[in-house]
Amino acid sequence: MKTLLLALSSIVATTLFAADSPPVGAAAPDFSLPDASGKTHGLSEYKGKYVVLEWFNPECPFVKKHYGSGNMQKLQGEYTGKGVVWLTIDSNAPGSEGNLSPEQAQKVMKDWKTKQTALLLDPEGKAGRTYNARNTPHMFVINPEGKVIYEGAIDSKASPNPADIPSSTNYVKVALDESMSGKPVSNANTRPYGCSVKYK
Amino acid sequence: MTAQGQIYQGKQLVQADALANVDAVIPGEPFLVGVRLKMQPLWHTYWKYPGDAGIPTDIKWELPEGWRAGSIQWPIPLRLQEPGDIQIYGYHDEVLLIQQITPAKNVTNSTVKLSAKVNWLVCEKICIPGDAVVTLSLPSASTNSPANTELFSRFQKQLPVPPGANFSASWKTEVTGLVLNVTQPDLAKFPSVDFFPSPPENVAVGHPRLESHEGATYTFRIPLDNAKQDFKSLPGLIVFGNSVDGRDRRAWDISVGQEMAAANENSTLSEVLRFLVFGFIGGFILNLMPCVLPVISLKIFGFVRQAGQSRARIFRRGLAFIAGIFAWFLGLALVLVIIKSAGGQPVWAAQFTNPYFVLFMSAVVLVFALNLFGVFEINLPQWLSRRAVAAEGSMQGDAGSFFQGVFATVLATPCTAPFLGTALGFAFTQSATVILLMFGSIALGMSAPYFLLSAQPAWLKFLPKPGAWMARVKQFMGFLLIATLLFLLSVLGAQRGVACLIWTAAFLLVLSIACWMKGAFITPLASAKTRGLVLLLMLVLVIGSGIYFIGDKFQSAAAVANPTAPSGGWEKFTPERLASELQQGHSIFIDFTAEWCITCKFNESTVLETAAVRAAFSERQIVKLKADWTNGDPAITKLLKQFGRPGVPLYVLYPGGTAQPYVFPELLTKNIVLEKLETVNRSIASQ
Repeated sequence: MKTLLLALSSIVATTLFAADSPPVGAAAPDFSLPDASGKTHGLSEYKGKYVVLEWFNPECPFVKKHYGSGNMQKLQGEYTGKGVVWLTIDSNAPGSEGNLSPEQAQKVMKDWKTKQTALLLDPEGKAGRTYNARNTPHMFVINPEGKVIYEGAIDSKASPNPADIPSSTNYVKVALDESMSGKPVSNANTRPYGCSVKYK
Repeated sequence: MTAQGQIYQGKQLVQADALANVDAVIPGEPFLVGVRLKMQPLWHTYWKYPGDAGIPTDIKWELPEGWRAGSIQWPIPLRLQEPGDIQIYGYHDEVLLIQQITPAKNVTNSTVKLSAKVNWLVCEKICIPGDAVVTLSLPSASTNSPANTELFSRFQKQLPVPPGANFSASWKTEVTGLVLNVTQPDLAKFPSVDFFPSPPENVAVGHPRLESHEGATYTFRIPLDNAKQDFKSLPGLIVFGNSVDGRDRRAWDISVGQEMAAANENSTLSEVLRFLVFGFIGGFILNLMPCVLPVISLKIFGFVRQAGQSRARIFRRGLAFIAGIFAWFLGLALVLVIIKSAGGQPVWAAQFTNPYFVLFMSAVVLVFALNLFGVFEINLPQWLSRRAVAAEGSMQGDAGSFFQGVFATVLATPCTAPFLGTALGFAFTQSATVILLMFGSIALGMSAPYFLLSAQPAWLKFLPKPGAWMARVKQFMGFLLIATLLFLLSVLGAQRGVACLIWTAAFLLVLSIACWMKGAFITPLASAKTRGLVLLLMLVLVIGSGIYFIGDKFQSAAAVANPTAPSGGWEKFTPERLASELQQGHSIFIDFTAEWCITCKFNESTVLETAAVRAAFSERQIVKLKADWTNGDPAITKLLKQFGRPGVPLYVLYPGGTAQPYVFPELLTKNIVLEKLETVNRSIASQ
């Protein structure tokens, strides 16, 4: 009875507060999006694996901070090497900064030597709104059970300055390392920083 | 000096420059500098909390040795909406970010050059980071005049201010976020009322939503993303105006002390019970407080007299006395509830900040003293006595006990005993029911000993037997009341000055003569004509001198602006002073005191003014501020309330930097103070 009441009250509270991103610990909502080569990726097909979601905008200075310095590519390479699925998502609307056609997307990946599993195109902002992704970069980590275990910033220094990277704590890396070694994620929720996602 | 901003599509997006509000620097005298950012139309820079995206503008001043810069004073930002329900806080067109600069005590150069590195992010459809070095050259001089007044006043008007006296806020924690209730009668005049959060670093906050407003009470819901973080409240601004983005908008900063003032209107039952227990203990301790002591002796005297009477009567007197205590406390509670609902600001012991109340108390105490000395006897009018005799003759005694109960508690109010302070601070923010319950439990605590003694009169046998010595004791009690009178007069003197004290004394003299006339001529043996004549003369004397001395002379004596000129390294507290010291990162100790507060005086002489404590203060360069509440300064009242305290004493230590202030217990000991001062980092203090 007590549990039922608790569950009911949290449902009421959740609707009242219109909770933003899927809360840490909740099941990651499914989506299905085409990548730059036209192949469709659904989140559900990656069940059993760690998945990283990274919201992306190649024009954004905060995104450039992490790609220009090679920081993001290094992270992508390291964890895709460990079997993690890394999905970069572009939710910017057509006509606004950062929106990519499949051809432009392929060019960015090639020019920047990115190492993600796939760059997904979400011009309608469907996946972005489902996750309430507000920033580029805005990061989510999903565990093999399909639960969100991290949501927030890429690292601890909210600035567009690449010189800050060496002295920052990379929250995504920490979350993945902790979870993979069977520990709970110590810092599961941070304030994301960056440009806003340019929704339709 | 204008510095180069970034160029985008041939346009310079942001022009940055620095300006001062004076035309010359006076050594040691703080002035204001502002970094002005002029943005292209539609582009914006960010507030200290940027919202869902962006980063705040950052300013780093390069200052000569010994100079200090305060933190940025952010004007009220705009709340901007972007597609996809993205909300940011920032500025369009032009913004002036003001900081206070404190020059060194001696400036050798004839011209001072200051420069700052400014970093910003400017966004429209896209975001571009920019930076500039802005410089400012000012001559050093012994006098100066204002400069850039229009610009500074335009942006200073847009700075958030502390909420006014009628403001109250309360927080409630729910499963996925916080609920904020704010009440201020003036708010209802504005079509647009908002809450802008400024959460601590790295705390993600959802979009605050105005859920409802009823009259002057507004309810906001603020979702918190960080589910694991346990926040009871958030700093932020209450922004109000005629439109959501108008220049006329004003804002109250509800950050300072909110953490402590955050009271839960929906306290759990156990919490309420705990505070009721505190109330009871506090009420009990009231019996032992210094300002109740003289009255206690009065009460004990009453018990001695009753010891010879029947048990049932003693118990009735006890109950009547207790009823008196309850009547006063519940009366106070009712007044508190009424004032609270009317939007006023009731404060414990506030009666003593009103000179007319102190005057009235002085008159009452003097009349009581004269009565004890035997100058006159209180005898009720015959019609009343007859009726009283008819009503078993005990009416007079019960009524007397009742008013003794009232009188004892009236005098007890300025002593906020340690537990009582907490309990009352709590009751302050509560619903009417809880306030009534709370005051009821205080009354219960205060009356407990009387209940026990009157219910178990066997214990009264330990009291001495009545006899001729009682007259001596009674007279001696009169001197205790005279001592109380001296105390009240010293309060009055501190509030209104010597002239006022003399007029009061003159009035009290006439009052004494009237009392003597009553005792000498209005005797049961005197003829009705004599009695009437004397009574008339008494009334003429009292009312005449009242009008002459009190209505006229007393009223014209202005309040003493600074009742106790602080000395011994103490400086006068003002909210501005506190804000500026905090901005400069200093460690600050505040002594909230009042002339009429005996506990305060006790703490000051036995702890704060001792050599060891003084040395510890100066060694750590702690700024000592004295907040004198003798006249009920509303700015001090507000701060007391923010600390959840309804009265003095209150002792607060701001350890420096951004550390939370520490609140000391109401009864200080040297050890408590010295131990806490140990924690103040010497290096922070000496910066």
